[in-house]
Amino acid sequence: MPPLETSFAALVMEGVSKRFPGTLAVDCVDMEVRAGEIHALMGENGAGKSTLMKVLAGMFDDYTGTIRVGGKQVRLDSPAAAKRHGIGMVYQELSLARPISIAENVLAGRLPVTCWGMLDRRAMFDETRRCLSLVGLDINPSKTVEEISQHEAQLVEIAKVLGSAPCILILDEPTSALSREQTRRLFAILRDLRRGGLAIVYISHHLPEVFEIADRVTVLRDGRKIATRDIAETTPQEIVQMMVGQTMDRFYARRESLAGDTALRAEHLARYGFFHDVSFEIRQGEILGLAGLSGAGRTELARSLCGLDPLDCGTVIVHGKELPAEDYPRSVAEGLVYLTEDRKVDGLFLRLSVKRNLLAGLLPFHSKAGIYRDRNDASLTRQYLEELAVVTASAETDVETLSGGNQQKVLLGKWLATNPRVLILDEPTRGVDVKAKSKIHESVAALAHRGAAVLLISSDLPELAGLSDRVIVMRHGRLIGEMRKEELSEEAILLAVNGQAATARGAV
Amino acid sequence: MERTGRIFETTGTYAVALLLLIAGAFVSPDFLTADNFLNVLSAVALLGIVASGMSFVTYSGNMADLSVPAIMAFSGIITVAALPMGLAPALLCGMLAGMAVGAMNGLVVGKLNANPILWTLAVAFFMEGFMRFTWSNNQVYPDTTPGTPGAAFIDIFRIHAGPVPLIVVVMFLLFAAGHFVMTRTRFGHESQLVGSSRAAARTSGIRVSRIVFLNFIVASFTASIAGIFITSMNKLGVFYLGQGYDFKAVTAVVIGGVMLSGGRGHIPGVFGGVLVIGLLANIMTFLGVTAFRQNIVTGMVFIAVVGLQQYRLRARGKDYA
Repeated sequence: MPPLETSFAALVMEGVSKRFPGTLAVDCVDMEVRAGEIHALMGENGAGKSTLMKVLAGMFDDYTGTIRVGGKQVRLDSPAAAKRHGIGMVYQELSLARPISIAENVLAGRLPVTCWGMLDRRAMFDETRRCLSLVGLDINPSKTVEEISQHEAQLVEIAKVLGSAPCILILDEPTSALSREQTRRLFAILRDLRRGGLAIVYISHHLPEVFEIADRVTVLRDGRKIATRDIAETTPQEIVQMMVGQTMDRFYARRESLAGDTALRAEHLARYGFFHDVSFEIRQGEILGLAGLSGAGRTELARSLCGLDPLDCGTVIVHGKELPAEDYPRSVAEGLVYLTEDRKVDGLFLRLSVKRNLLAGLLPFHSKAGIYRDRNDASLTRQYLEELAVVTASAETDVETLSGGNQQKVLLGKWLATNPRVLILDEPTRGVDVKAKSKIHESVAALAHRGAAVLLISSDLPELAGLSDRVIVMRHGRLIGEMRKEELSEEAILLAVNGQAATARGAV
Repeated sequence: MERTGRIFETTGTYAVALLLLIAGAFVSPDFLTADNFLNVLSAVALLGIVASGMSFVTYSGNMADLSVPAIMAFSGIITVAALPMGLAPALLCGMLAGMAVGAMNGLVVGKLNANPILWTLAVAFFMEGFMRFTWSNNQVYPDTTPGTPGAAFIDIFRIHAGPVPLIVVVMFLLFAAGHFVMTRTRFGHESQLVGSSRAAARTSGIRVSRIVFLNFIVASFTASIAGIFITSMNKLGVFYLGQGYDFKAVTAVVIGGVMLSGGRGHIPGVFGGVLVIGLLANIMTFLGVTAFRQNIVTGMVFIAVVGLQQYRLRARGKDYA
């Protein structure tokens, strides 16, 4: 590396790798971040961005490769070590304690004390005001975090990290919860910090934002670095190409679409603050993809659509029958079911057997006058375990002992067993191995082939492009376009969810 | 491995009960007699009735209904107060009064997601104050002149079917019904799912608040029956009659293998737990251990069993972390 460049480099990574059991999440990545630049880090889900940044934050003590901070080689094997070497990380999920004051949050771990060992409140508030001024916030430090807006909390989070005077600031998707105006204000602050000589790593999915704020961009794919480019010398199309890769393997067999009558119609759905005026329909036998960035309102839409969460206005019609709002048990009875985004939080009964989980959705259908009839339970269980190729010691094994992929198959099996008319899938293959993934795709395609309608929410673009018959695009809580099967490609979807070149047709 | 663990969970309490029977035989020659066995059953019948309903609250993941003593006292007092209307109407009023408290618990815990322990504790406190205030701290006596409903009421506790007291029959009926409801009805299955994970139950299309509500109704139903029996036994109604049955019932339920975290266990196990408590008390009585010391032993048994359950949960959790 030429000496002139390294003299500016605040952070240099050479050949950094991190292996998890079964996968090489980060594969020999070189990256250099200069003082006084905003360096964007991009890549699809699973490309290794978060793992790479966690290496920097000191979350792993078994990474390989060398890291130099300010020219000095360092070993970042604990969060404390990372902090000591001047690396400040702002996570996607806020890490503030909501019921306590801003001051205590900002100064957590370094609260000033008087010589008597008592809390020095004066010094605490002064120091907090200083930190908050770094991000242009003028709020009372004695307020609790729950009293301030989410936007302010985000800035407090950044102030907290800046308070320990880092030389490298890492931001993970900082704008996913912010409005456009708030994003503009954040960017102004970031530009100020850049002028002050801070090196900033900016992780984002939002192409327009990256082109607005970053100086350079590094793209990762499958754990490897593809390239680093000056923003001035590249285009969104080139970045997308690098993220997606040239080779599009035919992982997805062409399904012939046999869409029939309307299965579900959503009319002017709105939940204020999450999504607005959303209308679409899904036909029998159709797989409709729902594309969008995180924070676009996809999961919120799905949960309100099926009746788990409230709707402020709009109607949902399944097979000609209007469903009451916020009545999920009724929706299930009508054949509209929802496979949740996070199987561990609200999908599976982790401490119950595979069999109990598989049959959980059938309870209302297998009961008569309140009495449960279990005549074909065993054969049904066997049927779905076979059909989905679930690897389990027995049907009586606790589901939490299964691997992620097999857990997800059980969750899907639970709803397949109810023979749904409309199935909403929310990230159906997140954290699932390739084999389980193709099995899940196969089952979903088979369900559609039998005439069910499927709404597929996925951040996995190959999956979305490969499995869907049609894709609608959501951005900032609104449907902004629709793409037909022949127009579907990862590049096109990626551009569309970023608000670029979406074919504004139908749906809007 | 898995399977043997489960078999132990099922039969463990009965093994302990068997051990206690053998130990009892050594303690006293009178221990292994039909008379003494009926004694034990009669002595645990009240506890068994309360525990049969309490099991549902624990099973559905709501830990315990600590307002059970208040429900017992209240249903008894109301029954006595309503006796002038006749025996049947009075019993109905008593049951409804107790179950009204259960309905309130079920609504608040089910709909508003209150912490079940704290809420039912508060209700117990409130109900005691309410009863003391309303009846000015006094005991309520039925009119026991022969031939009146009051006399019939006093007899409830004393009726025998052959050698077996009515209360023992009722206990067995409630355990049988409880077992049926837990294993064979949609409500029982849904209770298990709610107890295993409220969030997953909701996304499976189960009306979670309704299930929680019904579980508290079941607990208050059996507590009200127990309240009527204990009032009949004492020939008077008063605010402190159910004292101690909250904790003893939870102990029986937990010894019986129902996980405090919900979703696991069964009614036959709970009956085993009730038997263990009854036999333990019976043996200690034979040994001349005073009531207070017996409480110490019951408390220690509870601590040991809960500790063991937690330890096993931990061990399981560690396996998969």
